[in-house]
Amino acid sequence: MKKVVSTLAVAGLVLALLMTASCAKKEAPKPQDVSVNMFQLKVEIKDALDGYAAAYSAAHPGVTVKVETLGGGGDYGGALKAKSQAGQMPDIFQIEGMGHYEVWKDYIADLSGEPWVKDTDLALKVDGKVVGFPVAIEGYGLAYNADILAKAGIDPASLTTRAAYEKAFKTLDAKKKELGISAPVSMAASVAGGMWWVAGQHNLACYWGGGLAFDDTSVIRKALQGEMDEPRFTQYAKYVQLLFKYADRNILLNGSYDDQVGAFAQGKTAFLHQGNWVDPNLKQLGVTFKIGYAPHAFLDTEEKGLYLFAPSWYVVNSKSPNAQAAKAFLAAMATTPEGHDYMVNKAGMIPAFKSVTLKPSGQLSQELMAANARGGNYGVFFGMLPDGAGQNVFAPVYDLFAQNPANLSQFIADMKKAIAGLPGMK
Amino acid sequence: MRKKTLVNMLFLAPCVFAFVMIIIIPFFLGLYYSMTDWNGVNPDVAFVGLRNFKSLFSAPDFIYSFLATLGYTLINIVLVNVVSFILSLIVTSKIRFRNFFRAGFFVPYLIGGIVLGYIWQFILNSILVDLGEALSLEFLQSSFLSRSNSVIWAMSAVNTWQYAGYIMLIYIAAIQSIPASLMEAATVDGAGYLTRVFKILIPMMANAFTISLFLTLTTSFKQFDMNFTLTNGGPATRFLDQPVKASQLLAMNIFNTATANRMAEAQAKAVVLFVSLVVVALIQVSINKKKEVEM
Repeated sequence: MKKVVSTLAVAGLVLALLMTASCAKKEAPKPQDVSVNMFQLKVEIKDALDGYAAAYSAAHPGVTVKVETLGGGGDYGGALKAKSQAGQMPDIFQIEGMGHYEVWKDYIADLSGEPWVKDTDLALKVDGKVVGFPVAIEGYGLAYNADILAKAGIDPASLTTRAAYEKAFKTLDAKKKELGISAPVSMAASVAGGMWWVAGQHNLACYWGGGLAFDDTSVIRKALQGEMDEPRFTQYAKYVQLLFKYADRNILLNGSYDDQVGAFAQGKTAFLHQGNWVDPNLKQLGVTFKIGYAPHAFLDTEEKGLYLFAPSWYVVNSKSPNAQAAKAFLAAMATTPEGHDYMVNKAGMIPAFKSVTLKPSGQLSQELMAANARGGNYGVFFGMLPDGAGQNVFAPVYDLFAQNPANLSQFIADMKKAIAGLPGMK
Repeated sequence: MRKKTLVNMLFLAPCVFAFVMIIIIPFFLGLYYSMTDWNGVNPDVAFVGLRNFKSLFSAPDFIYSFLATLGYTLINIVLVNVVSFILSLIVTSKIRFRNFFRAGFFVPYLIGGIVLGYIWQFILNSILVDLGEALSLEFLQSSFLSRSNSVIWAMSAVNTWQYAGYIMLIYIAAIQSIPASLMEAATVDGAGYLTRVFKILIPMMANAFTISLFLTLTTSFKQFDMNFTLTNGGPATRFLDQPVKASQLLAMNIFNTATANRMAEAQAKAVVLFVSLVVVALIQVSINKKKEVEM
């Protein structure tokens, strides 16, 4: 009996081995069919992109575009590393700036010859070569609730210097009860709430690029060498101090994204430090009041521009045999009416291509599009920083300053030290 | 006989295969990567010797995380074991509904650390703060999680809430394995309740303490999930004149280093975590073993 059982077990094991071996051999693809695998991280456009890819595949026989999405709380970078280790590198993937470019450069193809290159200012360029397709334009200023400002007698068009902001914040703070607000500004800066990026990336971007020409990266280049422009930073630090001082304390020190956006949507604050990506949230929260963007004017001199950037870029896997088909897919997105319709109407994004004439529906997105047409905006360069600089280095500095906004000199000293450490992070 | 060896080996093979593939090989690969400059992607990996380890011990954020982890572990060992021992005494006494209490105390352990972190974040950040405002109690009005000197204690409290029920089960089993005659004899000889607990119960269940201390020590040392959702490392505090994250324990420090594509450095930190955990655990077990008594 024992013998029978053991022989059976052995036979079973051998059989299992054979089956796995034979499974691996199946599915040799037909040579003429090309399958483009795309791996992207914007969860909010998943359905729209899936739909567009399906329509594109249907219209182009022989090409199948498959989209896989991982983002939000998911670890996109980790998953991409796992794919590359497993030899399943996608044909199109997404990177978020120079830090990621440095990591993935062996897999990134040159896109300089693509038809959409001339149609955009926001392609990712490295040493004169175009390597990244801008996914969308995002941008921000200080969003304001026009109704509250009107009630308080503040003209949003006057908010172009730090002094003007200080006056406006003071007025709002004095009229808190009358206006029904808890604080003038809804700002988040906490490590605990996971909101370090509002301060350590987007707000700090004002110091890197504010008041300069759109592609002037001199300040951040100096920082990457470890040097801080002290007079400029002092003006910036005073602006941060102002925002922190007049922000709702609980949201500033502990709040999550929902807390921050929710407070503004409920009319509990007059200003919100967030970009146009909050449009769908505001819509969901039933916002009916008029919203606009005022510039982050931190300098002593006047500033009128908003901050515009491509938050991420699609790149094509240079080692893939399907690179041509992948490039064609991206080109179609940028140049065909179907592609434009997908980007604007389905995915609700602001395309980075000038030939697009469709208009987005969100109030803040419309403001940005108008600002983009007007010109005089500022670039956003935090993507040039080494990976982890925002989360691990700047985040605790801002968190500490938020706990005690009175200590301006300490904040400047901490940031000086943090910037001096940047060259060592490479 | 020979055939039996073959069968044994065949039965062992899947387990050995899995163990080698997912424990042994990654362990040595990890040791190797900790001495390179690998970023997780780049196929050209250069060997840099002990450079990663040297830079660790001059980085304030790592030293802070290391000390915070030690402190957190110490607090946990005391808190979890004292609470669970008291709970086990209560539910092995003649109290009514004791089976209900046993189940009730154990339930938090069944909730995952991620979910639990969010639940307690809500309690500490919203409910307690609102309560403080409603009752105008000043010390409740800012969240315990937003104060750098209380955040580790808040984490330990949550961890105790989760883990005490589990350790309690181990103590219950140990208490029930002590012969009732021993306790009765002591009672007849005139020993009071506390004397019985300290002179008989505790020495008799020393092996349970060995296990429980070991479990609390290792789980606190490797704490990640609850840390991640409850505090995310915040708030910031100042250490060696540098802003660092006040509740960033070692595992989270490693995670944050790794997600910044600094794989080799993260691996070096993981090796340090592993070695210190082995050392501390060995010391703890050898001390505890000496106190165990044989029946």
